[in-house]
Order: sequence, then structure tokens, then C-alpha cells
Amino acid sequence: MSDYILEMEHISKTFPGVKALDNVELKVKQGEVHALIGENGAGKSTLIKVLAGVHEADEGGRYLFEGIDADIHRPLDATLKGISIIYQDLSLFPNLSVAENIYIGRDSNKKPWTKINWKSMKELAGKALDELEMDIDLNKRVELLSIAQQQMIEIARALAFDSKLIVMDEPTSSLSSGEVEKLYRVIDKLKERGISVIFISHKLKELFRVSDRFTVLRDGQFVGSYDVEEIDEQQLIKRMVGREVVYENNTQKAAVGEKVFEVKNFSKEGNFKDINLSLYEGEILAVTGLVGSGRTELAQSIFGVNKADEGTLWLNGKDLKINSSEDAVKQGIAYVPEARQTQGLVLEQSIVNNMTLPVIDALRNKLKLIDRKVEKELTEQYIKSLDVRPSMPDLAADKLSGGNQQKVVIGKWLSAQPKLLIIDEPTNGIDIGAKTEIHKLLRRMVKEGIGVIMISSELPEVLSVSDRILVMSRGRIAGELNTLEADQEKVMNLALDTEEPEDKRQPEGAESTVHQEV
Amino acid sequence: MKALLKQKEFSVLAIVIIICVILSFVSPVFLTVGNWMDILEGNTVIGILAIGMTLIIITSDIDVSVAALTTAVAVSIGFMFQYLPDSWFSVVLIFLIAPLIGMLLGAFNGILVSKIQIPAIVVTLGTLNIFSGLVLYFTNGNYINSTQFPQSFMAFSNIEILGIPILIYLFALVAVSTWFILKYTLIGRSVLAIGGNAQSSTRVGINFKKVKMFVFTYMGFLGGVAAIAQTSYTTAVDPNGLMGLELTVIAAVVLGGANIHGGRGSIPGTLLGVLLLAIMQNGMILARIDTFWQNVVTGAIIVIAVSYDEINHRRNQAKLANIDVKEAS
Amino acid sequence: MTNIKLSKESVLGLIALAIFVGLSLFTPGFLSSGNINSMMFQLPEFGLIALGMMVVIITGGIDLSITYIAAFSGVGAALMMTNGFGIFPAIIVGIIFALACGAFNGVVVSKIGVPPILVTLGTMVLFEGVILAITNGNAISGFPDAYSLIGNGYYLGIVPFSLVIFFVFTIITGLLLNKSTWGRRVYMYGSNDLATLFSGVKNSKVLMKVYLYASLLAAVSAIIMTSRYNSVKVDLGSSYLLQSVAAAVLGGTNIHGGYGKVMGTIYAVLIFQFIRNGLNLMGVHSSLVDVVIGAILIAVLTLNFFSDKLSRQKAKAAS
Repeated sequence: MSDYILEMEHISKTFPGVKALDNVELKVKQGEVHALIGENGAGKSTLIKVLAGVHEADEGGRYLFEGIDADIHRPLDATLKGISIIYQDLSLFPNLSVAENIYIGRDSNKKPWTKINWKSMKELAGKALDELEMDIDLNKRVELLSIAQQQMIEIARALAFDSKLIVMDEPTSSLSSGEVEKLYRVIDKLKERGISVIFISHKLKELFRVSDRFTVLRDGQFVGSYDVEEIDEQQLIKRMVGREVVYENNTQKAAVGEKVFEVKNFSKEGNFKDINLSLYEGEILAVTGLVGSGRTELAQSIFGVNKADEGTLWLNGKDLKINSSEDAVKQGIAYVPEARQTQGLVLEQSIVNNMTLPVIDALRNKLKLIDRKVEKELTEQYIKSLDVRPSMPDLAADKLSGGNQQKVVIGKWLSAQPKLLIIDEPTNGIDIGAKTEIHKLLRRMVKEGIGVIMISSELPEVLSVSDRILVMSRGRIAGELNTLEADQEKVMNLALDTEEPEDKRQPEGAESTVHQEV
Repeated sequence: MKALLKQKEFSVLAIVIIICVILSFVSPVFLTVGNWMDILEGNTVIGILAIGMTLIIITSDIDVSVAALTTAVAVSIGFMFQYLPDSWFSVVLIFLIAPLIGMLLGAFNGILVSKIQIPAIVVTLGTLNIFSGLVLYFTNGNYINSTQFPQSFMAFSNIEILGIPILIYLFALVAVSTWFILKYTLIGRSVLAIGGNAQSSTRVGINFKKVKMFVFTYMGFLGGVAAIAQTSYTTAVDPNGLMGLELTVIAAVVLGGANIHGGRGSIPGTLLGVLLLAIMQNGMILARIDTFWQNVVTGAIIVIAVSYDEINHRRNQAKLANIDVKEAS
Repeated sequence: MTNIKLSKESVLGLIALAIFVGLSLFTPGFLSSGNINSMMFQLPEFGLIALGMMVVIITGGIDLSITYIAAFSGVGAALMMTNGFGIFPAIIVGIIFALACGAFNGVVVSKIGVPPILVTLGTMVLFEGVILAITNGNAISGFPDAYSLIGNGYYLGIVPFSLVIFFVFTIITGLLLNKSTWGRRVYMYGSNDLATLFSGVKNSKVLMKVYLYASLLAAVSAIIMTSRYNSVKVDLGSSYLLQSVAAAVLGGTNIHGGYGKVMGTIYAVLIFQFIRNGLNLMGVHSSLVDVVIGAILIAVLTLNFFSDKLSRQKAKAAS
């Protein structure tokens, strides 16, 4: 038997129209922590879903677990073989007790009338928690626990299952730094017990802390696997991004004009606090930060769907009163949400209906009825100028590719002629070609006099598209960088809000008006 | 203790106690043993059905055919009585056959909901029409009265043990065994799991369709039991007697803290919900409030309860999404 | 590109036509002028409630209180008339009563966000109770002769006046849903309420109007019913409650929201009307008609399920 517990080779997965994985390899040794890294859309989650039995790979791949053909066709198969997946959104039952949540699934293949033995269930669950040195009441309902505790419940579940391989998808994204350290200690302990861990994360620093090996994916392809000793952070980034850097960093100094938009002392409990920011004519302002830093919450508060507790907004010389998204749109604010398919578009409805939704009141004829002709003309105009394909106004939005869907969302707002556009993760899940197109579009909008705030966690994108960068961390603005002087490391240091490696403190970050107010 | 106070069941219990205190002042009869026996016995049918409905609502579905289903089984019992001998054997046989008929009808709902994936509200609206139409066709809307019943069954209905009518024992048996199923069997926990988080439940290998099938079949089973209770309580079969009862049943379950969003609901909670509706009705009769006002009060209580519940639900959801905002340094 | 495939609604229309032709051929008396006439008089009251229900269902909701809103509205109008007010003020009061109920539903659904099935379950019991408290469970009857013309009179001597009213409201509903911005938002909201929120649509306003409009249609139906029966009682139109849901769903309205056409619902209402009437003429027990309607509802959705499955398999095989 080889010393690999998991061997996946030549794994491909095709979805209608997209090749999500193309001949990918992932080999994990017994008892190692293996980091799986890559940018958004690199294929990490698809690979994990194949591993977990959620998706079946295309023909021709090899998937061995403990040296024999894995033969995994549904999630339960994977679980029974000793593979546990801890998804980012967790697989817990808020209404059940801690003990039940840890134990559940162990007997999914037993007869429905099997009696539950609470005593042995609690023993097993208690043992698993003890091993993690967690002190949680076994009878407590899981919804009453913190996110960090919930994550531990998932790990305890994997332990109780005698899992041999545990996959953790972005486990630290919503943990505080103390909790993260605790998680690392747990992972070390798992390792001692000979359990293998696949760790998915965007945070390279932490990966170097916990991982033994790296596997890098890019655009659905396998880039390589490396031991932690043979590679450093910069080389890893290079391999994630590709030798020829996908985006050129922005080197053009923007001709910045008057202030167009300002957020003053914005706070919302449990979301963000004391946010001050300004946007100037002619620039693209990027707001970045880790998941859970409050950037999306901030954007949605500006847009009125997540009302802030206090603070004011100012746009083009006017103080704004925004109580709802309707108010925001009336005042000229547009928001392209990150969740394109659930928040950005009404998928079942046609391109026309989606594109004209915010402006439909203006498209009425004298009888106050919708003027179909004008509506169609307007849609066709934006389909053309944004190059939406196929250019069929009556096509349902769910028939479009991700990039074209995003263009429809943008078109929807262009038709509303906004003064300010906030765009959240503009190119999430969009293929490379369309990404550049969207970026050009943002630049074009700025030229046409629309203020653009881009929220993005994809650092290359931030560095390439924006003129100025605000970094958020745990609900506050941690600092501001001029894009011309910024690099990934500087941004990351602010975003991670690490114990300030003093020498890394960038003086240019302190110039800004914003920073002084923090 | 704090956790206990926060539980929804507790607030329902508090309301029940408050109403009891008020009613005991309004009417000296209210707190008598006899009155409570009447309340419990009179609400056995609603109670049994509400227990079944609790499981369905926990999985965030609904069944509006329950009253029609129960009547259909009751009518079948009535017809069978015309051919059954007057012996204890007949009573036993009824206890075997009635739940079985109920299960078949419930399973029909279950197949349509789980396998054919028609929304439960539509399925059960359809079967409500079918069941009640067939009942009216076969009975012509006429009572089947006790003259046709075996004496043994009449004797059964009059049994009292320790001064407590047999139906209350039946009610208690259903409540305890369903509570046991939810707490101590795999299928029961699967019901709660599906309601709590459907996606997680498929991830841990729970068969979603089978569980849906189970809750509707079990509802049918309890419908069969309720039919026996109803027949025994009224010593007659009234084809129109339970019309519209499904809404009272749903109301009781919702008042007891079950939530149509799924995952919430418990047998003790539902029992309190049933009790709350029952004592209100009883109290208004005792207080000589016009029966017409009962609906107003019941309706108002339902609207207030579901609104309060929704506001709480939202507040909790929002809290879950909170970020650990850094304190100013 | 020629579109050979008929829309769902047209298929339903053809089925309605086939049933009509079949019954005309095989059921003596179906085509008699008396029978046609009675069908024309029965159609409007049910059709109006079904349209109201459809609009609510398009938003993904349901209105279980709709027939009690109708009854409440009828009681309002009846009380005015029996207390000596004229027909016109009576009708206005009837409509106001209904709109008040609709507004109540609308506020709880749209502002508090309670699932419509629970809200309307509660308000159904509530409205029923209010009506009982007002009427003591008795019928109110004895309206001016002129009032009875609304439900019993003819327009131009041939077409029942109530049918004309129904026709007008069918057109209005169609126009509002397909041509007004509110109608567009109703469909968009029904498909994805988050996306409408993120497009600057005030969801609560859209929903509020939906419940108001449904209650308006219920009020119109109530006026026709009270006029036709010359009396009103708490159970006015209550048999239409579940039937109207069935008609909307049979008419192709998606119970989860986002889709539903006026014509589909109208065809479904016609089918129910033909079957009910035809079976009656054939001497089939009236309660079996309910069985048939329930069976049709389930059969159609079951067929839908299998045909969807088939076409999905075909699509898969093709790709």
C-alpha cells in the first residue's frame, strides 16, 4: 500500500458549457495537513464535491481511497468510508442538541425504527469533545452556540465517525484570531492521531502555519503539489495567479476630481462601526477585506436593505435619507450584489424583465401601461453596448453564462442611470475573458461620470482595477492604500489585522483622511 | 433556568396558567375535576390530530385533509359496525382496521408529496375534496347513529379507569408514544433534522423522501385513531361533524410553538396549544360569552402568535449573522 | 422560427372546449338555453374569487380568508340596505369592508413578514368570528329590487349583467398583471423577492396592493352573490375557497409563485363549471363532483410531473 490515503488523478468534471475541472490531481498522505489553494473559480469546491460524492467526475479519472477504488457515488458513501467534509456553511441542525449533532449520520443506513441510545450517544459525543478539549453542554441546542463552537461540533462529528480524512472548507473565515489559534491546535492534534486534513483557505499566512503540503489549482487545472519547505508565499502566489499575471496592476494615475460621495460615521451593531469613506470623481474605489469583515454589510446598508443604526450619506452635494432600496435607487445609488443568482437576477424571468425592473415606472405610455416597444428598445440597446450573448431579450436569465448574467445585472443599473454604483465581487465565478470585459466596463462607467465602489476579495482584481483601496477588518476600516503603491502583502496585513508587525506599517496608508478618523 | 424561560413552550404555558387563574375567578366550575375531564375528553380528537400535524409542520409542510381523512375513516367504521358481531373482538378489530385505513389514505398524500413532488398544500386540498366528496356520497350526509353500533363498542366508550374516561388514556398514549418516537427513534430524529436543515440532512445521508412519506402516513395513522375516538365520543358518525376542523388543528400546533419555517415544534408544545384553545372555549362558555365571539378571540390569538413568532425568528436570524466587530483601540 | 408548441393555457382552453363539446353531444339538456343561462349566472361569482386567489398565489402566497372577506363585505352591504341606505352607498361600504380586511392581511404579511398561509388562516377564523358576532349567525335578507338586478338581470336582454361585470374585471386583471408596472413587479416578486428587493422594488407596497386587489375582487363577487341569493350569511361563498385554489393551480399558476395567467385560471374555472353542471345533468350525486374536481387537480399535476421528467430526460440524452 502506498503512503497516500487519498489519490485522485486525471479528474475532470464538465458541467453544461463549462469544464470546471480539467485533468486535476490531488494526493494526500496519511497524517498530513494538505492545503488546497487557488483563486475563486479555480475549481477547489468542485474537486471537494467530487471527493465527497456530491458530484460524480467525468469518465477516465482515478479516485483511490486507502489504496483501493473509492467507489463513492453519494455523500453517505464518503462518510461511511471515513471522509468527513466540513463545509463553509456547516452541516448542522440548529434545532438539535450538541450530542445529536455529533452523532447524527452514524446510523443513517440503519432501520428507521432503530432506538436511539442517548447514553451511548452522549458518551461518544462527550469523548469526541474531550479530545478537542471542548467544554460544551451536550444538551444545548446548537443554534445557541457561537460559530467557532459550531465548527468544533463539526470536527467532533468527524472524530466520532472515526474519520480518516477531514476536509475543512475555509474554516477560519468567520473566526476571531484567538479561535483560529485554537483550531490550529486541534488540527495539530488530529495530525498526531494520523488523521489527514485537507485545508482550503485564501489566507496564505495561516496555510504556512498549518500545512505540510500544498496543491495549487488554477482555472480548473492542476498546477502542482509542493512540500512546505520547497516553496514560499511569493512563489505560491505566482503559481495561483499564473506565470503571466492575469491582470496588469494598475499603473495609471487617475485624474481625480471633486468629491462625489461620502459616508459619515456609519455604524450598525453586529455589522460594522465608525465607517467613514469618500469617493472622488474619476476614481474606482475598492473596498476589500476577508469574509466577515463587514464589507458586504456596509454596501447593503448604503443601499438601504440593511439599515444602519447611525451615520449619514452624502451624494453630489446632498445629504441623503435612505430607508429602503427604493429610496436608494431614487437617489441614484445602484448595487450589484455578490449573490448574482439569488439577489441580482430573477432567474426564471426574461432579460427584458430583469433589465428594466428598476426603471419600469419610467417606461409607461400615456395610459400608464408598460410600453413594450420602448422597453424592448432600451434592453436591446444595453444588450448591444454590453455585448450580452446570446442577444435575445426574451431569453430567461438562467439560460445565460455567469459573465453574461453579470452584464444583465450591470445593464439593469445602467438603465437606471445611477450616480453611484456599488459592485460586490464583480467577477465571482466568471471566466477569465468575461472578467476583463467587466473590468473595462467599470472603467468606462467612471469615465461616463458614474461613481464606482468595487467590493472584492480577489486581490489581483483589486490591484488591477481600482485607484484607491480601503481595507476592512472585523467591521472597521483597517486602512487605506493608494493602488499605485500597494501590493498583495500590504493589503493582506491590513485585512488580517495581525498584531501589527510594526515594520510593515505602511506610511502611505496613513495619509488618508479616512485613516485619521479611525 | 434562563434557557427554560426562553423556550416558547414556557410562554404558552404561562398564558395557559394566566387564563386558568382568570377563569377560576370568573366561574367556580372551571377548576373542578369534572370540568377538566370534559375539556380533555372533548378535545381528544383535536389533540390526536394536532400531534400528527406537529410532525408535518416540523418538516415545514402542511396537511389540510386531516379532518376529511378522519371522517372518511369514521364513516368506514360506521359501515363496518353494521356487519360486526357484538363482541370484544369487534372493538379489537376496529382498532386494527381503522388506523390501517387511515395509514393508506395518509400514504396516498405522502406519495404525492414525496415522490411526485406536488406541494403538500395542493395535494391535501385535492384529497380533502376527494375524501369529503366520497363520504357525502356514501352517507348522503346522514348520521350513522349508535343503534347500529355493537354494544361492546358502546361499553368501550363508557369505560372509566380511576374515574378517568378511556379516551383520555388513548390521547395520553398517542402523545407519549409520539414523543418517544421523536426523541428516541432514528425516524423521529430524522423528522426534526429535515425540518432543522434540509441541506445538512442530505449531507449526513438522511433519506428526505422517506421521511416525508413517514410523516404523512403517520398523520393518516393518527387520523384513524382519532376516528375511533370521535366515534366513541359522539357515539355516532356525523359526515359533516369535523368539517373545518383541520384549521383548528393547525392553529393549535402553531400556537404550541411549531413553525412553518420548519424544525420547530414539540409534543408538549402542541399539547399546550390544544389546551390553550380548549380552555379558552370552555372559559367563554362558562363566562357566558356569546359563542360567536370565540372565533374572534381565537383568530386574534393566532394572528398575534404567528406575528410574535415571526418577529422573534427574524431577530434571531439577524443575530446569527452578526460579525464580531472589533472594539475601538 | 415557428412555434408549433401550444402554451399551457391554450392546451387548457382546448380541453375546456373538448369538455364542452363532449357534454353537448352526450348530455341531453346541456345545450338547452336554460342550462346555458344558469351556467352563465353561476360563473362570475366563482371566477372573481379564483382570479383574486390567483393574484395572491403568483406572489407565492395564499389567501385562506378570501371567502370570509367576501362574506364580510356582503354583510356590510346588506346591513346598509336593511337600514334604509341606498344601493350605491351599500356597495361602497361593502367594498370598504373588504378592503379593510385585505389591508389587515397585507400589513401582517408585508410588514411583519408572516407566511401568508398562517396569517390568512388566522384572519379567516377572525373574520368569520366578526361576521358571526355581527349577525348572530343569522342570515340578513330583503334587499331592494333594484339590487337584485345586479346578480339576476340581463344586459341587452341576453347576457347576464353579472357576466358583464366578470368580463370587465377579467380584462382589468389581465391588463394590471401584464401591462402595469405593479403587475410586472408581482411576477418578479413571486419569482424572487430578494432580487426585487435588491432592484429597488418596495416589496411591501407590491404585496399590500396584492391583498387589497384580491379583497376587491372578493367584494365584487360578494355583491353578485348577495344580489343573486337576496340574502347573506356567514358561509357566503365558503365552498369557493378550496375550489379557487384548485382552479388557479389547475390553470397553471405556480403555487411557489412567479407564474400564472388570467386565461389559464378562466379556462380552469370553465372546466370546473362544465363538469359540475354536466355531472349534475347526468344525475351524478353532487358530492361526487367534488371528488372529480379533486381527482382532476391531482391527476393534472401528476401528469405534469411525469412530462417534466420525460422532457428533462430527453434534454439530457440530447446533450
